[in-house]
Amino acid sequence: MSFIGDVLREAVQLLSQFGAELRGVLWLTLVVSLLATAIGVALGVPLGTALGLGRFRGRTPLLVAVNTGMGMPPVLAGLVILLLLWRDGPLGSWGILFTPQAMVLAQSLLAIPIAAGVTAGAVGGLSPVAREQLSALGLGKTATGWIAVREAWPGVAAAVAAAFGRVVSEVGAVLVVGGNIEGETRVLTTAIVQETRQAQFGAALALGILLMVLALLINGALTWLQLRERTS
Amino acid sequence: MAPLVVEGLRFPADGSIVSVERLSVEAGGRLIIFGPNGAGKTTLLRLLAGVLPGGPLLGAAYQPQHSHLFRGSAGWNLGLGLNSEQAARARTLADRFGLDPALYQEPASALSGGERQRLSLARTLARPEPWVLLDEPLAALDVADRVVVAAALVDSLSGKGAIIVTHDREEAAVLGERVAVMVGGTIAQEGPVAEVFSLPVDDRVAKAVGVANVLDGVAGSREGPLCSIRVGALHVWGLGDLEEGAGARVLFGAEAVTLFPGHDASAGSARNRWPGTVAVLRETGRLIEVIVDAGSPIAALITPGSREALQLAPGAPVTLTVKATAVRVIPR
Repeated sequence: MSFIGDVLREAVQLLSQFGAELRGVLWLTLVVSLLATAIGVALGVPLGTALGLGRFRGRTPLLVAVNTGMGMPPVLAGLVILLLLWRDGPLGSWGILFTPQAMVLAQSLLAIPIAAGVTAGAVGGLSPVAREQLSALGLGKTATGWIAVREAWPGVAAAVAAAFGRVVSEVGAVLVVGGNIEGETRVLTTAIVQETRQAQFGAALALGILLMVLALLINGALTWLQLRERTS
Repeated sequence: MAPLVVEGLRFPADGSIVSVERLSVEAGGRLIIFGPNGAGKTTLLRLLAGVLPGGPLLGAAYQPQHSHLFRGSAGWNLGLGLNSEQAARARTLADRFGLDPALYQEPASALSGGERQRLSLARTLARPEPWVLLDEPLAALDVADRVVVAAALVDSLSGKGAIIVTHDREEAAVLGERVAVMVGGTIAQEGPVAEVFSLPVDDRVAKAVGVANVLDGVAGSREGPLCSIRVGALHVWGLGDLEEGAGARVLFGAEAVTLFPGHDASAGSARNRWPGTVAVLRETGRLIEVIVDAGSPIAALITPGSREALQLAPGAPVTLTVKATAVRVIPR
């Protein structure tokens, strides 16, 4: 029992110090995850809305692709981005491998299908009455999609939360394309792996607690937005 | 503006739900699609609206049966799909339909069914299309408000043509100029509202429009366009062309029957005059249905005022008259 107690004590001590290294890792995690979520939502929600409203050629294969993408192993997403960004790869000239930009790119690849898939479910689940009324408003495609997203807002908010949860917690993709370089591309999850490997359990646990607090705050904000009654 | 003519409407392709050979409405005209539940009225309207595949491209404004408001304020919902000029017109119309402008700030979810329907109706009528398609536009309103809103609706069409689905006879009579009665996916009869309701072509239509009197008998003598039918002890004159001795069915609306107090052989000038006694008095909406035993039960519709004037009560002797031209005789 004293082992667990020692680990906990050390973790709390590290957290209370909240040193520069910890702050740097937290900040990078926040920036990379939020950017990847933003890209994933910006592309995934419109795609999911189109899939949810339905009736166009290629909808079924696209839906299968999105659903499969929701289960893509992060390490595979990392590998794909790595191959693209490799010196001799098609995007090698960008020179961003092992930088936070590459990490955002790899995590976006994970976030898009999640955002799209959950949105498609939410929009597709709108009542037939709502869908019929929506089509009777005589609006263009963009405006129709926008109202569908507003109407399915609790579900779309869940899509945003799911995308964020996916990217903030994954370790494979950021590790492969970021490289877990201290002070440059180390984020909370890769740091946890690092500290655990070196048997620095107190530090690992401190990072883990930080990760959970981060997830709690972001999801708390999203849930507040989700439950708010729209009047404008 | 051109008249609306649609031919060969089928849904699905085999026409098992809707099969309409021809539907036409003159420019600015109002056609009621009337019929029982499951007759295909809504499917026909959805075909015309382009919601279902296989319909014509009319470019009409359409309001579905169930008006749905989206998350947001009522005022925001009222302006959906409209430019600022049209939105202003929608607010004017909403006012005319009795929607309180104080509700505009409220979330749409706070509105009652009737308020939602008034809002959706105003928004649809504010659209620029020359035709409007309305599915049960007054169904969610209180009975007391229906006639008022119906009159405002007709007034607000201002030259637009309308196709309106309803299963309510009174609503049809207020809203429509012509009525098409749908039975089993097809249009069984089409014509001016009064004519269709008082002279259904067959007993399917008679049943659909709620004509109260359908009597079976045997054809007797003929006289010009009229023939007489023996229904038990009654002799009924009506419009028809039947061979003597043929089985016949007699149809006439309850509103075509006039009641006189007592057994008065000189009452009125109608061809059909039958003595009877009041069997049942029943309130139906704002009118009173009277069932008279005249050998066969005959239904008549009267106002509460007439009931007072005639001092009707069960057992009272009355004389029924029905103009022969209001009676349709069909083969059985």
